[in-house]
Amino acid sequence: MKTRLSGLAAIVIAAWALPYGLGTYTIHVVNIALIYALLAIGMGLAMGISGQINLAQVAFFGVGAYGVAILTTHSGYGFWAAAVLALLATIAIGLFVGIPALRMQSHYLGIVTLGLALGFINWITNADITGGADGISGIPVPTLPGIDLSSEYLYYYLEAVVFAVGLAFGLFVVHTSLGRRLRAMRDDSLAAGSMGAEIPLLRMTAFLLASFYGGLAGILYGGLIRYVAPETFSISNMFILLAMVIIGGRRSLVGCVIGGIGLTLVREWLSDFSTYAQLGYGVVVVLMVVFAPTGLAGIPARLRALRRHRRGHRATRAELRPFTAYEPVEDLAQEPGLLRIEAITKQFRGLRALDEVSLTVDAGEIRGIVGPNGSGKTTLFNVISGFYRATSGTVHFAGTDTTAARPYVLSLSGMARTFQNLRLFGQLTVRENILVALDRTRTRAIWRYALWQPGVIAQERRLRAQADEILDRYGLTDFAESPPAALPYGIQRRIEIARAMAARPRLLLLDEPAAGLNGEEVQQLIAIARSIRAGGTTVVLIEHNMGLVMSLCEKVTVLSSGKIIAEGTPREVVAAPEVIEAYLGDSELSELPPDQANVPQQDRAKEATS
Amino acid sequence: MQDTFQTLVSGLSLGAVYALVAMGFSLVYRTMGLVNFAHADIAMIGAYAASTFYLTSKLPFAVAMIVAILVTGAIGLVIERVLRPLENKDFDLMLIGTIGFGIVLQAVAILIWGTTGRAVPSPLASAPLDVFGIRIRPYDLLVMGVAALAVVALSFFLSRTKRGAAMQAVAMDHEAATAVGIDVGRSNALAFAIGAGLAALAGGLVGPMLYVDASLGGALGIKGFAAAMLGGFGSINGAVVGGIAIGVLDSYAAGHFQGYSVLVTFLLFTVAIMIRPTGIFGERTVSRA
Repeated sequence: MKTRLSGLAAIVIAAWALPYGLGTYTIHVVNIALIYALLAIGMGLAMGISGQINLAQVAFFGVGAYGVAILTTHSGYGFWAAAVLALLATIAIGLFVGIPALRMQSHYLGIVTLGLALGFINWITNADITGGADGISGIPVPTLPGIDLSSEYLYYYLEAVVFAVGLAFGLFVVHTSLGRRLRAMRDDSLAAGSMGAEIPLLRMTAFLLASFYGGLAGILYGGLIRYVAPETFSISNMFILLAMVIIGGRRSLVGCVIGGIGLTLVREWLSDFSTYAQLGYGVVVVLMVVFAPTGLAGIPARLRALRRHRRGHRATRAELRPFTAYEPVEDLAQEPGLLRIEAITKQFRGLRALDEVSLTVDAGEIRGIVGPNGSGKTTLFNVISGFYRATSGTVHFAGTDTTAARPYVLSLSGMARTFQNLRLFGQLTVRENILVALDRTRTRAIWRYALWQPGVIAQERRLRAQADEILDRYGLTDFAESPPAALPYGIQRRIEIARAMAARPRLLLLDEPAAGLNGEEVQQLIAIARSIRAGGTTVVLIEHNMGLVMSLCEKVTVLSSGKIIAEGTPREVVAAPEVIEAYLGDSELSELPPDQANVPQQDRAKEATS
Repeated sequence: MQDTFQTLVSGLSLGAVYALVAMGFSLVYRTMGLVNFAHADIAMIGAYAASTFYLTSKLPFAVAMIVAILVTGAIGLVIERVLRPLENKDFDLMLIGTIGFGIVLQAVAILIWGTTGRAVPSPLASAPLDVFGIRIRPYDLLVMGVAALAVVALSFFLSRTKRGAAMQAVAMDHEAATAVGIDVGRSNALAFAIGAGLAALAGGLVGPMLYVDASLGGALGIKGFAAAMLGGFGSINGAVVGGIAIGVLDSYAAGHFQGYSVLVTFLLFTVAIMIRPTGIFGERTVSRA
């Protein structure tokens, strides 16, 4: 902490002293570099943090700069009034450009945003109000009492302050609730949605942040150069900006800043050989993408990992500690029909994955859903948890109709799920994975980021204390700072359950929780599931492992080809001829005595699935 | 009415070029899931190369075109080889990698051909035909004809030849394709080379219609991508329909909104793609998450 503070102090002093050692031209270049660094932060927040391929950042820059130019020269506003209005205009445009992100992602979004940026460039080069290709000159000098901002030296201090506040705010966002959700959305938007993250609003937030920084940079540019023309906002500058973010490291704001400042300086330094410079950074982008996808900012971590790898295992071995049971709730909520599914049909083109499925789960149950592969079990979960919209039929959860509810709504109303093929947030630590689910605030609470930051910090403290508790309960404390992908499979499965339970759900859906677990781990799973139920959470699980289902569930529902073919106690179900036929195909071959299905877990009941 | 048809005709010939761009783009996308942002710049290199061999080396237009196609095909092979480690892994990184290649190609073009562009005279110098009062340039007909021929040839290649069938198999499931003995790397390289060749064809053909300079790729490319998206990513038929749609839209926008045609085109395109993100023939889900 002390070294950090002194490091920060050294940077502040260096930034303060910097202009004293620089000539007039160099300080101009530094001023430009700071503007690009701000732009790069916005780009990094959208692309690296939130995973939204935003190729319109240069247009946001342009809207800010042209906004100030038009409002001061045409409409006669003062610089600061114009700046505020221009910033608002940029954010409005940013939200508009972000709308397509609600419907498409990845390269689709890239092409659409690039197209819109091209449209903006087309407009500024042709409109009268923007001065066409000549641009707008004569933007007034921003005024500050007692400081003459026409001096580039003094303007540097204005920029440095805005930049420092902007960077600090960006880092604050990234490392607290909002940024964590954005990163979770980037890693796996489906899982993030099922943890209560409002994906559409978060995507718009990403564009809001990108345009906010873009607008800020544009305003500073207008005040510095006092002249705007289309060539500053061209597509090739967009790609340079992209190069800055990729070379610096898109997932780290500090990396984006390093890329922004570094590339601007190099570009200025090589301005006589601009084509060779362009060739150079194109090559560097390609090399970075192939060999160092995390950019310059990611290199220290990669080196550390390499060194650790060479040195072998760490001295202190992390271990999975035993699970601490939940406090049993005395009076399990007597609510019949916590989950009521009526005549659900799900059609995928020609395939009827679910056919008039009706099912009621009472509060306090542990319900097993079994069935051969392709019988529609996971589809049923996806319909219940809001990933799929049923073709017909209704789903009621806790008394309300949730047939058409989005996953985040269901999560907020007390439903949690795990996934068959593990959907942990790969770039987040285990602790952060838990924190994402713990965080029950709605996205609209982000106003606090603008107006009441202490509230965010207080909430963050609370969440972290709770996360420690959950990590401890699930025996995961040793892995709190590890990325989940580096951990053994069984531990990842447990993290998924811990994450789902962090939301304190009333209903927990487990999709094949025992897949890939060894015998001992299955036993632990049974204990965990029992304790979860005793703690007052109803459990529904899909499982192939018949032993697990037999020993855990009081009631089992059997699906086959999208239809429910049997329901009852495990013993009844195993004896039902329809079930035997569905599993073995031919009832004559199935001389399976009911006892045999009660064999312990290590048997994995493979015979039942094949 | 006559104006409308006149616009339609010029839109069709430009649309044929966009369709060629979109086709190469889609071929690469469906085979290896790679969104090749350098595609546009490959087309630009193709335009320059074709015009150089045609104007400077005095080769016949058709021969110049073939040489240009070979040159860009080789560039395609290089790009594919460099980015191969990322194939089927990180989608967004691959996309950014191709943008990097685009930057490199633009710089190379400026180094070789300079910053001033060039106008390429039409190889068919005859006077425009007059059909019911609509003036049709013979060159426009040539462009449409060549584009149509390319569509037929590509479809034939994909459906009737062994290598084409292998490429289709890789597109559907690259692991299963490996299992049945298809060399996925070689198949991808071939797809990339053909895609680059189609880009060069588009670039070479558009040379006499537009002005050839280093920024040609930008204009041609983004509209080509838009065409591919509108038609449905990865669909060859979609690329043709989308290309013509964007060409006609572009030509109407140019007629009615003059300077703001690009803005109008992309706003309309955005609305269309918002309504139907998978495009006309697209069946893939858009959100890959």
